[in-house]
Amino acid sequence: MSEKDIIICRCEEVTYSELKETARKFQCTPRELKLRTRAGMGYCGGRTCRNAVDSIALESTERNESQISLKYQPPIRPVSFGKLGEVIE
Amino acid sequence: MENKTIIIGAGPAGLTAAITIASRGHSVVVIDEYMKPGGRLLGQLYEEPNGNWWNGIVESDKLHQQAKKLGVDIKLHTPVSNIEVQDGIWSVHTDVEIHETTHLLLATGAAENPLPIKGWTLPGVMSVGAAQVMTNVHRVKPGERGVIIGVNVLSSAIAMELKMADIDIACITLPVSNTVNEKFGQPLEVMNSLLHVSHMAPSAFIKMGSKLMKNDFFKQLGITFFPKNGVKMWDIPIMLRKAVTEIIGDGQVEGVKISTINPAGEVIPGTEEIIGADFVCIAGGLYPLAELAAVAGCPFYHIEELGGYVPLHNERMESTLPGLYVAGNITGIEGAKVAMCQGQTAGLSIANNLENGILEKELVSSIQHTEHTRENAYIQFHPEIAHGKDKLKLYWDEYNAAVTK
Repeated sequence: MSEKDIIICRCEEVTYSELKETARKFQCTPRELKLRTRAGMGYCGGRTCRNAVDSIALESTERNESQISLKYQPPIRPVSFGKLGEVIE
Repeated sequence: MENKTIIIGAGPAGLTAAITIASRGHSVVVIDEYMKPGGRLLGQLYEEPNGNWWNGIVESDKLHQQAKKLGVDIKLHTPVSNIEVQDGIWSVHTDVEIHETTHLLLATGAAENPLPIKGWTLPGVMSVGAAQVMTNVHRVKPGERGVIIGVNVLSSAIAMELKMADIDIACITLPVSNTVNEKFGQPLEVMNSLLHVSHMAPSAFIKMGSKLMKNDFFKQLGITFFPKNGVKMWDIPIMLRKAVTEIIGDGQVEGVKISTINPAGEVIPGTEEIIGADFVCIAGGLYPLAELAAVAGCPFYHIEELGGYVPLHNERMESTLPGLYVAGNITGIEGAKVAMCQGQTAGLSIANNLENGILEKELVSSIQHTEHTRENAYIQFHPEIAHGKDKLKLYWDEYNAAVTK
C-alpha cells in the first residue's frame, strides 16, 4: 500500500511520508522533526498528532525517559482573541 | 482571598476528591470542560462477574448529587487554558475568570491515542471513545454498521456496548502496520496483550487458548492457526489475522479495504476485500492527559506500564510542586474504581494539609485501599500496572534524594 497520502498533522497538513523522509534524512529528535515539518504546531497544539510525531522520530533517536518529548505551552486549549485580550477585573 | 480548593476535572477522581474535602467542611470548586459531570465514567456500561451492572451514568450521577449536597461548586463547560504559581498561590486561567487557590488538584484523566490509517480524515471516522460517548451519553447512533480498528480491552468493551444499542459491528480488526501503528498492527503482540484479559472473554476458544499460550511456542502456533475470519465475541468477529489498509468512501465513510496478514503483520498480496460500513472507530488505547502538569513544570517520567508520560508524584498524590496534587488517569491508565480511590487519597491529602496533619491515619488506610482495589480490578489496562507504580516510587525517591543533597 502506498502510504504517501496519510495525513498525520491535520492542522498543518503534514503527511506520513514527509515525516518519515525528514526523520530519515536528519535523524531528528521529536522536537527537531516538529520544527522542520511544522507537524504539531497548528491550531490544536498537536493534540491529535503528538504521539504519531513522537513515534516516527523515535525510530532514529532514543526516547528521553525523564522529559516530555514535545513541549506543552499555554494556552493548552484554543482561546478566542476576544477573551485573550479582555481585561479581567 | 477565600481559599477554596480547586479541582480540575469532574470525573470519578475529581468528584470523589471534592466529596472527601467538602465533607471535612472545606470549600471546593470543580472545573470541567465538558457539559456533563462524570468524565469518562459516563460512557461505561458492563456486567461484572457477580452479575451486577456497572452503569457509568448512574455512578456519575451519584457522585454529582453527593458533591452538590455538600455544597461543591461545579463549573462545567469551562476549559482551563493555563495554570501558574506565584508565592504559593496557584492561578487557574479559564475563559471566564482567573481562580486562585493554595491547593490545586489535577484530575484531568486520559486521552485517546489515534492510529493514522489511509483515509482516516473522512467524515464518519472517530475514536472508539467518541462512539461510546455518542451512543451511551447522548443516545445517538454513530451509524448503522461499523468497523473497529484496534484490538484491545477498551475497544472490545465498547464494541459490546455498541452491540447493546443495536448497532451492527462488522468486525474488530487490526490496523495495517506502519511506524506509528506498529505494536497495534502485529498479531503476536496484540495477542500477548490480550492474554491477561482473557477472563473477560466469553469465548471458550480464547479462555482455553490463554492457558496454552503461556508458552511462546504455543503463542506462535496460536497466532499462525488463528482462524482467518476471526473468533466471535458477543457475535462480533475479532480478526487478528486481518488488517485494514485503507478507509474508503466518497465524502464520507463507505467501507474499509482489508487484507490477510502474516504473524509478523505483513500484508499477504491478493487477499484484499472490501467490508461495507458507514462509520469506523479507531482504538489506539489511552494515555495520561498531563498538559497542565507539564505547563506547571512538574518533572515527568515515561512509564510504559502507566500508558505514557506521568507527572512525578508520591502515594499521597502530591506532586513535587507545593500545593499541586494529582489523581486519576493523569497518574496512569486504570479503571474508574481505582481513580475514585486515588481521588479519595488526594482529597484526604489536601484536607490533612489544611488541618495540620490530623488525618494521617485515614490517609494511610486510603492508600492501602487503593492498592487493594488495584489488585482486584476487573479490567486492567496494563498487566504490569503494579510494576509501573514501583518504578514511579523509585523515581520519586531518587528525585528527592537529589533535591535534599
